[in-house]
Amino acid sequence: MKTFIAIIILVFASTVVRAKDDDFKTVVKMIEQFYSVKHVGIPFLAKAGMKVATTAARIKGGEAKRIAEAGSIKLAVFENQEFNGDFIKFRTSLNGALNTTWMPLIQTLSATNGEQTYIYLRDTGQKFHVLVITIAERDATVVQITIKPEHLARLLRDPEGTGKEITEEATIIDQE
Amino acid sequence: MKTLNIKKPLIAWLIIITTAFVASAQDSRIQMSSLDHLAAKASQTVDVSIDERLIRVAEKLFSNAKPDEKEIRKVLVGLKGIYVKSFEFETEGQVTPADVEQIQSQLRGPGWLRMVGVKSKKDGNFDVYLLMTGETIGGLAVLHTDQKELTVVNIVGPVDLEKLAKLEGQFGIPDLEIEPTKRSKKNDEK
Repeated sequence: MKTFIAIIILVFASTVVRAKDDDFKTVVKMIEQFYSVKHVGIPFLAKAGMKVATTAARIKGGEAKRIAEAGSIKLAVFENQEFNGDFIKFRTSLNGALNTTWMPLIQTLSATNGEQTYIYLRDTGQKFHVLVITIAERDATVVQITIKPEHLARLLRDPEGTGKEITEEATIIDQE
Repeated sequence: MKTLNIKKPLIAWLIIITTAFVASAQDSRIQMSSLDHLAAKASQTVDVSIDERLIRVAEKLFSNAKPDEKEIRKVLVGLKGIYVKSFEFETEGQVTPADVEQIQSQLRGPGWLRMVGVKSKKDGNFDVYLLMTGETIGGLAVLHTDQKELTVVNIVGPVDLEKLAKLEGQFGIPDLEIEPTKRSKKNDEK
């Protein structure tokens, strides 16, 4: 009986961990399904954290001020596609999917131009992950990073501005 | 059976006490989800949600060495949440009296005190409410309604009004304009 309970606990624990790890993919799939769009995969980015940082620092013309820890960036880009849909419903679905593992920090929406920005934070005990979802009329990005502790205070003080910086930092490699 | 008779009142008391504690902790948190439908009409919606976990994190992050961060840290101590909902519209009349009433009815509850109430043609209606728990302030709510705007700010937990200005413009909190000098300016427009 004890062994059986232990197995159940192990299975449950691994499911929870896997669910947490897959939240980025869940969000990307959710956008794809809700808006009938397809993201552009940039698989090398996940391994190119250092390169991103160097590029970002060079473009900004100063010391490396990167917000993300090296190699921690996950990025999905949706380009030149229609994002037609009830954003209130999308928001409800998104919050429902992320509510248990992520803390919503700020959400901005515009019924005029359909722009949506969502910033979530997750505390894993030792590190903090930030998830930034930006949806515009024809483009969208989903970025997940592990934030450097020194930038966490900045994110809390200015969530909107720092969220934009995170997205810029993750996507700036395209300018190379 | 005798044991059961003793247990029942004990459990009942425990439930009452627990409920009372939970209620007092949640009293200053106002429910704003009734406003969510406005996002479908708003040209700009901002929804900030900083719960107690995040506040405790922020408390640790702000340094005692830097004067401005030290001040913010002092304000954060004891806070249980910061919540902001703000809607801007391109046309007038999108916010109905019923929407405003959903918030105001909560602020007429026990303990809530309307500290400032300003009606200005220029700036709209501006109300500041405090939740008094004895001599201390247990929470704060700001309600700002304009022809094309509705903003609700809710700070949950003990608030030091003198230091509150330190949070304005940060954590997604708009300029509350409840500093004494600014307040008197508002009152002048009354």
